[in-house]
Amino acid sequence: MLLKTKQLSKSFGGLKAMNKVDFELPKNEIRGIIGPNGSGKSTFFNLVSGIYDSDPGSYIEFDGHDITFTPPHEIAGYGLSRTFQLLRLYQDMTVLDNVMSGYHTKVPYKFFDAVIGRKKIWDQERAIKEEMMELLSFVGLADYAELNASELSGGQRRLLVLARAIAMKPKLLMLDEPAAGLSPVNVDNLMKIIMQLKEKYGLTLIIIEHILKVVMDTCNSVTVFDHGQKIAEGTPAQVKDDNAVIEAYLGKKMDDEEMRKALAV
Amino acid sequence: MEKFKSIIRDYPFIAFIIAFVILAFVPSVVFTDVYQSHLATLIFVNIVVAAGLNIVKGYCGQVTVGHVGLFAVGSYTAGTLFLYLGLGFWVTLPIAIIVTAFFGVAMGIPSFRLEGPYLALATLGGGEAIRLFIENGNFFRSTFGISDIPTPSLMGFNFDSPDRYYFISMTVMIIAVYFSFSILRSGVGRAFMSIREDPICAAAAGINVKKYKILAFILSAMFAGAAGAVYAHMPPGYIHPNNYTVIEMVTFLAMVVLGGLGHIWGGIIGAIVITIVYDLTRPLYKYQLLIFGLTIVLTILFMPKGLGGFIDRYFLEKRFKKKTGTEKT
Repeated sequence: MLLKTKQLSKSFGGLKAMNKVDFELPKNEIRGIIGPNGSGKSTFFNLVSGIYDSDPGSYIEFDGHDITFTPPHEIAGYGLSRTFQLLRLYQDMTVLDNVMSGYHTKVPYKFFDAVIGRKKIWDQERAIKEEMMELLSFVGLADYAELNASELSGGQRRLLVLARAIAMKPKLLMLDEPAAGLSPVNVDNLMKIIMQLKEKYGLTLIIIEHILKVVMDTCNSVTVFDHGQKIAEGTPAQVKDDNAVIEAYLGKKMDDEEMRKALAV
Repeated sequence: MEKFKSIIRDYPFIAFIIAFVILAFVPSVVFTDVYQSHLATLIFVNIVVAAGLNIVKGYCGQVTVGHVGLFAVGSYTAGTLFLYLGLGFWVTLPIAIIVTAFFGVAMGIPSFRLEGPYLALATLGGGEAIRLFIENGNFFRSTFGISDIPTPSLMGFNFDSPDRYYFISMTVMIIAVYFSFSILRSGVGRAFMSIREDPICAAAAGINVKKYKILAFILSAMFAGAAGAVYAHMPPGYIHPNNYTVIEMVTFLAMVVLGGLGHIWGGIIGAIVITIVYDLTRPLYKYQLLIFGLTIVLTILFMPKGLGGFIDRYFLEKRFKKKTGTEKT
């Protein structure tokens, strides 16, 4: 198991944003996470990546490390990378710097070498730069490398965020609504790039997505959240026919007696 | 030319050695009187402070208004070490740098919790507290200031006049700028910038936010400490608490903002321009604060990335046009 959570809980005051979720993810799987708004999908990401501290009694394990109360930068060091729903681009940095800062955990040299400015630093920096340019041309942003990230269009920003998350060569990549706000053509294009990157780097993926077509087409398995609880899990086909899922999305199906009562009022 | 370029790229310090040699000939070739050497020393001191301030404010994005306090710590460490122990420049400079680094840690700790204007208030308080501490108490000779701090001498040669002290300040400046250059060009500089842009995303990308914030404060404090020590030993070797007020802080800020926040040469360009303007407007001393305040506001409004960013932008647009053949929107 690459990622495992046990009894994962998080409450904000009286609200249980995440309620005793057990979650297991094997290597090389593409897992989709769906659920209505406010069902705890993003909370789940924030808990796993360490942005929030989980409540006592929770347990999260990633790649053999207990990461329950580990700060986010150490979790990233173990090889867990994520994107954000609100992108969180480094607006005032160049596109290339954006991607290179994603490489931070893999930078080989020590701080004091950098202060003295030894030759090997500049060699390694150039090597990193070339590698990142390759990644940028893979997602199709090589021409924009020197521009500020704030000057990119919405679709290009989505690609840049993706490239930045992949720069650290993670074992697990968690994508929070990668295709939100994209036109159908761009969505297809983005998913194609994501799949290519998965092949290239041997990634395991977790994708939160509201576009159900994307989830059903690309994911091996799907987990459904509602009100901070896991209500269903299985292959896309199984989940699609699950009564609890339909209820969460569309409401409860009434029988004739209940319907008559409801209409009589 | 290509070969020369690649050598510079591999060994950037060669470029700094060339700059050193060129600057070494400036006094004898360009300067016409001693005052210009004195002004050049002031410029170099300001460059060191501004380069340090650019690390913490321009790159790491932590708004600190207490930097002049750190500058004062550097000066007064050197001053008191001379006053009570009779130590010379070569000893006081490293001690001043180390002591100021510790004060930098203290100044940086609030940044874990505070952001933006609130951090500015906290550091303003820190800087003022340092100045008031120096001012009230006879230990630091606050009434008359510490005078006759000796100039350094090396192998029998005493750098005792402004045109000789020029070489000391220039050497310190070149070394400091070289360090700031190599720090900011490496992954450390990128980590600073990511923290400025988005600390949460930086943490998720594996950057230890607290460590790098405190590192930025320590580094910039060391720059301020070095500048303070050089300033204290500058002939005629006189320091007084009045030289470390908020007004000085505003000029330091004006340098960094005008030069370009987060531009690698930002602090340096700004320090040169502002120091010269400061000197030229000395007859209008009543309006100097107004001028620098206006400079900050106008630069932020119309040239948010300062002179450095302005120049960069020009070349970038040229390159972009050449590469893609289109006008950038």
